Amino acid sequence: MNKLIIALLFFTSLFFAQEKQIDTVFKKRVLEKTEVDFLMSYYTQDGDHAAVTGGIGTEKLTDITPTFIVAIPLNDDDVLTADVGISAYTSASSSNINPFDGNESASPWVESSGASAADTWVNGSFDYSHSSDDRNTIWGANLSVASEYDYFSIGFGGHLTKLFNQKNTEVSLKANVYIDTWNPQYPVEFRAGFIPDAGYTTNYTEFDKLGRNTYSLSASISQILTKKMQASLFLDVVQQDGLLSAPHQRVYFADKPDFFIDSFHIADDVERLPDTRFKLPIGMRLNYFINEYLTFRSYYRLYTDNWGITAHTAEIELPVKITRSFAVIPTYRYYTQTAADYFSEYNTHLSTQEFYTSDYDLSKFNSNQYGVGLRYTDVFTKLKIFKLGLKSIDLKYSNYNRSDGLKANIISGGVKFVLD
Amino acid sequence: MKLNKLKVGFLLAIVIIFLLSSCVAVKEYEKVYVNDADMKLTANKINKFETSFQVYREAASGANGGKAGGGCGCN
Repeated sequence: MNKLIIALLFFTSLFFAQEKQIDTVFKKRVLEKTEVDFLMSYYTQDGDHAAVTGGIGTEKLTDITPTFIVAIPLNDDDVLTADVGISAYTSASSSNINPFDGNESASPWVESSGASAADTWVNGSFDYSHSSDDRNTIWGANLSVASEYDYFSIGFGGHLTKLFNQKNTEVSLKANVYIDTWNPQYPVEFRAGFIPDAGYTTNYTEFDKLGRNTYSLSASISQILTKKMQASLFLDVVQQDGLLSAPHQRVYFADKPDFFIDSFHIADDVERLPDTRFKLPIGMRLNYFINEYLTFRSYYRLYTDNWGITAHTAEIELPVKITRSFAVIPTYRYYTQTAADYFSEYNTHLSTQEFYTSDYDLSKFNSNQYGVGLRYTDVFTKLKIFKLGLKSIDLKYSNYNRSDGLKANIISGGVKFVLD
Repeated sequence: MKLNKLKVGFLLAIVIIFLLSSCVAVKEYEKVYVNDADMKLTANKINKFETSFQVYREAASGANGGKAGGGCGCN
């Protein structure tokens, strides 16, 4: 009898020991170590349809954006992520908010040298996420702040993810609110002290409401389709209200007389757009692992809004692993959109219209973007810089051509470290 | 009308794909390929700058797992 009790106790203790071991084995830390990403990009563009000068003029712009992303494991289940970046840009078209403060004769094709020629956008976003013990539920909250000279934004939101079907299916919901405020920089001809020519009249009045609110609800579902294929579907519902016009973008009317100073056309008004906008984008990703060297990554998005814009985006990436550590990633992206109901070219709007813009970002166009990326990965983080182990290096170049003549180039780089 | 048909077709195709797959469950030990870094169903971090300029230069945004709008004087 005693032997039976001892045997029973022995097996019971083995059972509980096994249970304990299972718990220990399967509750893996969500993030093993602190990860630090340093990212940077250099962007240039040029074109002939600057919105600041009513649809004509130089769109020359350069932008440099150093960014840090730090993901910190707070414990086995919780991760805090901070994304802090700066975007420092010079813009020829923005400089022409006041085209008369430079040394050259004023013209929409010549950049001015005034205060609006350059600006800095500072952004910080912070996300906290918690994973359940079985790792099938993840919830979190986020906060973001962004500021530039004429714009300030604060945003907050929450997200919830559920995994089921042996982690083959993932459903996510995300809600965000952005409370934004303009500090409008009106074109110089609408500012106090500017003396226009005799006979000059304008439709211009200042905007009385300077806030812009954005409410977005995002839902996504990801599904493993086969051992080598998985897909996800994204649906966003976005409602915006407030000042959706850009207060520094000029508009010229065909039914008003034209007045020039040097070669610069004095504006009739700034763009006027409705104070609400509803957007409905639906996107899909489909990835296929062709073999150990090649993966097919694809993305498609259908976008529509109540300003009359319908857009399609298609993108393909083909990561090619040259060795275990090096990969080359060619990419191609095609985009096409219809024009907003309120868009018309330079000097073709009528002063009797309620809404008008000559911003070519809202015109009908298509664009092609070709790119190639290089990636170095060291899974063992052998190279150390102080306590930081190098995990990966990314470099990418893309060339962007829009059918209205806008051309852009962007070089992006990223280095990822793991803190030992 | 043509666009509406396209939208319906697109949505139907997606629903069929997900319904067909709903009875399939790939086991953890069979996920070596779908767990590959290149198989992630999100954009690579380095693409965030390209997404940012596209949001400025194009009217469409969202439905890519990232921000859907707000936070900048863009669209």
